Amino acid sequence: MQAELTLKGITKEEALEVKDRMTLLEAETGKTYTVKEINTDDDDMNSFLFRLGCYEGEPITLVSKKKNSCIVVIKDGRYNLDELLSEAIIV
Amino acid sequence: MRIAFAGNPNSGKTTMYNALTGRSEKVGNWGGVTVGTKEFKIKDEYAGGKDVTAVDLPGAYSMSPFTPEEGITSEYVRTANPDAIINIVDATNLSRSLFFTTQLLELGIPVVVALNKSDINEKEGTEIDVAKLSEKLKCPVFETTSTEGKGLSDVIGKAISLAGSSQDAPYIQADINLHDKAAVDAEDRKRYSFVNDIVAAVEKRKQLSSETTGSDKADAILTNPVAGIIIFAAVMYCVFWISQTALGPAIADWLVGWIETFQEWVAGQLENSPAIVSTILADGIVGGVGAVVGFLPLVVVMYFLIALLEDCGYMTRVSAVMDPIFKRVGLSGKSVIPVVIGTGCGIPAIMACRTIRDERERRATSMLATFIPCGAKIPVIALFAGAFFAGAGWVSTISYFLGLALIFLGALLIKWITGYKYRKSFFIMELPKWKMPSLKFAFKSMMERARAYIIKAATIILVCNLVVQLMQTYNWQFQIVEEGAENTSILASIATPFAFLLIPLGFGAWQLAAAAITGFIAKENVVGTLAVVYGLTAFIDVDELEMTGGANTVAATMGMTAVAALAYLFFNLYTPPCFAAIGAMNSEMQSKGWLWGAIGLQLGTGYTVAFLVYQTGTLMTEGHLGTGFLPGLIAVLCMAAAVYFIGKKTRAHFDEQYELHRKDGKQGAAA
Repeated sequence: MQAELTLKGITKEEALEVKDRMTLLEAETGKTYTVKEINTDDDDMNSFLFRLGCYEGEPITLVSKKKNSCIVVIKDGRYNLDELLSEAIIV
Repeated sequence: MRIAFAGNPNSGKTTMYNALTGRSEKVGNWGGVTVGTKEFKIKDEYAGGKDVTAVDLPGAYSMSPFTPEEGITSEYVRTANPDAIINIVDATNLSRSLFFTTQLLELGIPVVVALNKSDINEKEGTEIDVAKLSEKLKCPVFETTSTEGKGLSDVIGKAISLAGSSQDAPYIQADINLHDKAAVDAEDRKRYSFVNDIVAAVEKRKQLSSETTGSDKADAILTNPVAGIIIFAAVMYCVFWISQTALGPAIADWLVGWIETFQEWVAGQLENSPAIVSTILADGIVGGVGAVVGFLPLVVVMYFLIALLEDCGYMTRVSAVMDPIFKRVGLSGKSVIPVVIGTGCGIPAIMACRTIRDERERRATSMLATFIPCGAKIPVIALFAGAFFAGAGWVSTISYFLGLALIFLGALLIKWITGYKYRKSFFIMELPKWKMPSLKFAFKSMMERARAYIIKAATIILVCNLVVQLMQTYNWQFQIVEEGAENTSILASIATPFAFLLIPLGFGAWQLAAAAITGFIAKENVVGTLAVVYGLTAFIDVDELEMTGGANTVAATMGMTAVAALAYLFFNLYTPPCFAAIGAMNSEMQSKGWLWGAIGLQLGTGYTVAFLVYQTGTLMTEGHLGTGFLPGLIAVLCMAAAVYFIGKKTRAHFDEQYELHRKDGKQGAAA
């Protein structure tokens, strides 16, 4: 297995990463996920999301998604997120 | 005694404030309606005879501000030492709201928690153990429904009785270095888990928030890039159609009848007075102000419909669907709200920009929002549509769409001038629960605006009309201007130099210039002044005008072609709004450069649009260019050149800064 993956040029860790980590836009509608990482490259934005209850280890539900935006449930509120934010939240 | 109202955005603070004080401050079903502090005395029936002032604050998610209006709140509760705080908590989102509550409880000021929107919880079968919550938070908790006034006297009574005492905090942040980001984060996490434990202990939900509901399906359609925009266009079209073609004019006709009767009565009373008195009173004051008041129905019907839209929760869905488009021109989805509010009045529209986080986007939006014709411009549009285009609906429609187009073009121009490099612009907006819009609330909001409109007509517009009437009646020697020598009046001599500049736009008459100038005081003045200077007082009766045929009295008196009239209308719509709106822009922009840029852009836009409409229109209808094409072209080119050089200068400056950053990071990369 290890050898096979190495042949394809990716390590085992990377292979797992592809499966286990995805952005909100890659996630499935109607499902609840656990936030794994938030990185917007903007400290203020990260802490704003935190204050809404969107941070590592917390649940987030994808209600609907379009090509470059989505609607999520964080705690008991619904939010519309644009492309940048949808891609910055890893579940 | 002062009691501050604090809580998350859209938790119902202003609704409660209005109920307790009897005020009618703006409310709406989205976060960020209130953008500044408001203070008023609480009604005696609630205050129990004591002198209690309620202070309404903008919504905040926490004590650390993210947008400018959130900063106002944390600053106020920290430094203004209110005697008590009423923390309004959205009971349908306890898990998020209590984060801010625990921070407020740490301040030492007595806090009373109002679990607002408890009616929705009841409907959805969510139960909150109030006694247990109160015990855990160490402060009194009451269930309330602000919209129906339920529980308010309990909350305010308790807050008054606790005022001035102290508050035990259920959770105290550890003594950490507040500059150490990791430590702050860790503390915030602890606070959230404290909150999560409380919520788990007191809240029982029948329906989980994560379940997809019917309203989610509706939201998916409304925020769909194609369907959502079509629906928005249709909704706005209906608003304009109902207010300006269907219902509005019908009521206006009826009202105008009354105004005319009144005017005749006044003229009758003045029969034996000197002619000059009767001219000033009957024609000047009653006629001019009446001309403006006659349009009131069109304006208030529109306010009523916009209030319904604001109340139901649609605005946030519109923001969400428009965000990608607005982002492309360098604005934000949040710029949509000021634009829609701007159809009512430009001042609250400019103030609503405060919820936009990015400074450049915020300033650009407040600069552009007033291109959308406001309520005060409706009389101007209706007058010209009625007099020159037989009341055609397309004049109004095109005025709004052109305004929207100018916002986009202006945004692109600002993007170019400021040398806007791609910077991350995030858009996150809470989608509140849909709510049945309250007719009572919309009616109240409408009456409030109607009152303000009438007061404005009876004060500013009345005074302006009187001044215009006097300036027109007398010459500089303070003698009454003789018939046939109208050009010697004070008004004519002041307005003529300006009129000269307007020749290339097709309306170089001093009367029109005078009306445009008084329009900067208040846009309704354009109609009032035209009524006075042309001695036309009953020209708003659309039906009557139609009877006299195409070449009706108004058009004939003004001596303008239809093309020039359209150019004049656009000039009045897209030049700077009234002084009050410019003042609002000044306080939002906090920069003289931006303010002058805004005024310059608006003047230039109004001039250019009018020039293009008049010249191409004349070419199309009469086969030749209009008068003064060359000087006008030179003026427009000069303006374009000015924009170009300002842009080049700021961009060069921007590039310099950018290069410096590059040099720091990568050696020689930019050299």
